[in-house]
Amino acid sequence: MKTPLLGKFSFPPRGQHMLGPLQHIDIPMKRYTESEAVDYCIVGVGSAGGVLLQRLSRAGFRVVGLEAGPFWDSERDWVSDEAGSHNLYWEDLRITGGADPLALGANNSGRGVGGGSIHWAAFTPRLHPSDFRVYSEDGVAVDWPLSYDELKPYYEQLELEMPVAGPAYFPWGDPHGYAYGPHPIGGVGDVLIRGCTKLGIRVSVGGPVAILSGSHGDRQHCIYRGFCIQACKVGAKASTLITHVPDALRSGAEIRDHCMVSRINMGKDRRTTGVTYFDRDGIEHVQKAKAVIVSGYAIETPRLLLNSACPGFENGLANSSDTVGRYLMAQAGNVILGSFAELIRMYKAPPAHALTEEFYETDPKRGFARGFAIQTVGPLPIAFAKQMMVAKGAWGWGLRRVMMDYNHWAALGLLGEILPWPDNRVQLAEEKDRFGIPVPKVTFSLRENDKKLIEFGKNMVLEVMRAAGAREVVQEARYAHLVGAARMGDDPRTSVVDRYGRTHDIANLFVCDGSVMPTQGSANPGLTIQALAARTADYLISQRDEIFTSNQRNMERPPFRRHLAPPETWGKGVPRLT
Amino acid sequence: MSNTHVIEQLSLPRDPATGKPIEPIAQPGYYPGYSTLSQNEYWDAATRSVVLERVQKVPPIRFFNPEEARLLTAVCNRIVPQDDRDEGHRIPIMPFIDKRLYEGRIDGYRYEGMPTDPEAHRLGLKAIDEIAHHLYGTGFLDIATGEQERVLKTIHKGNPPAAREIWQRMPVHRYWMLLVQDCVEIYYAHPLAWDEIGYGGPAYPRAYMRLERGQPEPWEVDECRYEWIAPPGSISDTYEFIAGEGEHRGTPGQGGTH
Repeated sequence: MKTPLLGKFSFPPRGQHMLGPLQHIDIPMKRYTESEAVDYCIVGVGSAGGVLLQRLSRAGFRVVGLEAGPFWDSERDWVSDEAGSHNLYWEDLRITGGADPLALGANNSGRGVGGGSIHWAAFTPRLHPSDFRVYSEDGVAVDWPLSYDELKPYYEQLELEMPVAGPAYFPWGDPHGYAYGPHPIGGVGDVLIRGCTKLGIRVSVGGPVAILSGSHGDRQHCIYRGFCIQACKVGAKASTLITHVPDALRSGAEIRDHCMVSRINMGKDRRTTGVTYFDRDGIEHVQKAKAVIVSGYAIETPRLLLNSACPGFENGLANSSDTVGRYLMAQAGNVILGSFAELIRMYKAPPAHALTEEFYETDPKRGFARGFAIQTVGPLPIAFAKQMMVAKGAWGWGLRRVMMDYNHWAALGLLGEILPWPDNRVQLAEEKDRFGIPVPKVTFSLRENDKKLIEFGKNMVLEVMRAAGAREVVQEARYAHLVGAARMGDDPRTSVVDRYGRTHDIANLFVCDGSVMPTQGSANPGLTIQALAARTADYLISQRDEIFTSNQRNMERPPFRRHLAPPETWGKGVPRLT
Repeated sequence: MSNTHVIEQLSLPRDPATGKPIEPIAQPGYYPGYSTLSQNEYWDAATRSVVLERVQKVPPIRFFNPEEARLLTAVCNRIVPQDDRDEGHRIPIMPFIDKRLYEGRIDGYRYEGMPTDPEAHRLGLKAIDEIAHHLYGTGFLDIATGEQERVLKTIHKGNPPAAREIWQRMPVHRYWMLLVQDCVEIYYAHPLAWDEIGYGGPAYPRAYMRLERGQPEPWEVDECRYEWIAPPGSISDTYEFIAGEGEHRGTPGQGGTH
């Protein structure tokens, strides 16, 4: 066996809670008692919850985050191993059905502090301005109650806080550039460039991804080990665990891990009084709070609202519109696989490192509304074997044979917009989980526009793969990401929350996560979720104590508070946003 | 040459040039001499411990009864055949399926209309044996490997000729995907399988350096291809969609790729 160029690595000192090899945090943190009402109780410390916790605690609020999963130590808990990474995903029972049932678990559901941002591939494109006006422009779905311009400052700011690496000029949507340099490309990126170049399609290379291309503070740069979606031990890929939680704890926030919230409690005045939860030993607790923010993502958020039904709220909390759980969306995520005569070795480099949004906008000639993106993906052996099972029908000797050619294959992902439909929804099943809480049932079916879009998009990616020189091209149908199911809107009859995330029905109950998105575009949702969270935080901060005492709704647009971002993420160096 | 030896020879892949069986070896695949495990000192401690435990500790059988365990082993041997591996280098699959079911670990969801994973596996084994009886008049364990493949192929194609009452309780293609996924998740989690396909394996904290053009890292080796064909009588070396052309709409429960 040949010896590596570099010698062995010495591991960081033991006895510290590590967030990447260089960053550690000091535990214990501040502890609030359950009987004293905290200002905000946040249910779920994921992409949105992590940002909210950081902003609200820095603004001086007393905040507790309850997280169903563990508070990760990156050195102890995470591994460079596909089969060993199941603990990252939400693997409690859910029932999935409909004409086109969604795969859940590892496919789209995180668990533990950082949530989905622990196992995302970290593609961070923004939504396009047209995404906020889908009904106005295309006559389908709905418009957002806010415009791209209202969210834009938060996009710019979160791109610095993560930070995002990418090209200096990104041509699609609202054209913009990235301050942190793009990543070198791997074999799959090279395939995407080759295919797109041949067909005259513009392609963005080396980003936008929330992965460090150079070291940043106490985080080191990417080492191209390819395990992004098994959690980044390196600390190069952004997750709210490493970008926002440390500052939240320094600012006095508390995070209770292994705490599963079973219901939101209501007082006699139609205001919430806090939450009931089970701790790691299965013991039930009540945390009092002046306001509650649900950040459990597109399945657990509606599940909790529905499970909190009580007298006066028989159909679940914030559900007078019968919209809780409805308009659930996943994106078309077909994987197109091409086999090449030359070696690719697609396990190297981040799975996410090149994309094109050339087909993002509606083109009337195509015969359907909205569009899609094409992105690099990098399935490791187990994921690839499962893809071959479906895409080729491989098993037996045929499976062994195609797997022996693993290093000759490249994979590209379609990311297509599926529209929000009322019957695509989260409900409660008969079955109960280990705490006795009814499990969610997810129903998902495609409609005509979705099917046409997928067919067209899939064929376009097949064409790109062939143009790149693939000798064999196959594809697997699947879905990526989850948003919707507690959508925002100005009309309380057709939406769950207002434009700032406050439920229409309960003045001190908020939802802040991907579930508030009315439509989803063809952008990976992580950046938008964090940008929305920073915006909701600005709103809450500008309301001071009003939310805790009053049922009045002040809909004034809050000032943008860059100074509440984690230090060192703005105001000096390049770029300097002021 | 003994009788058993002749039968074993029948399940070995062939050299297409000579038509002769390729004798079992320690490491099939196109990367001779490559060993991910030899690099374990360069892995981080948590990864090393997870992978080494997988290699060194084959779990005891606690979920399946002995007959079921024997039957499932035979099924796994056809889903992921390992006749080309010598005895010291075969990757155990059935014990890890048993472990998952015993521990009650699921992938986070169950398709509507499917029984629980433990029940599905038990029912599936029963159905496989019934199909073998229907087609060959004897149990799955007593038929030749080519015949075993024909039994499984009826499930793959979504038209099993027996065990109708079982298939009324569980969709055929869902069971097939559950079974194949369980097998591949275990086989391709093993460092010996990584060596076979030339996968680099864990690379933290060391990093990959050569991202483009498929070039090997200093510890990886160059590809060295050879031709082989499936054993005579095998029908699993061709590719047909699950449950028939164009009908494989069900998505697999894989780890997300994007």
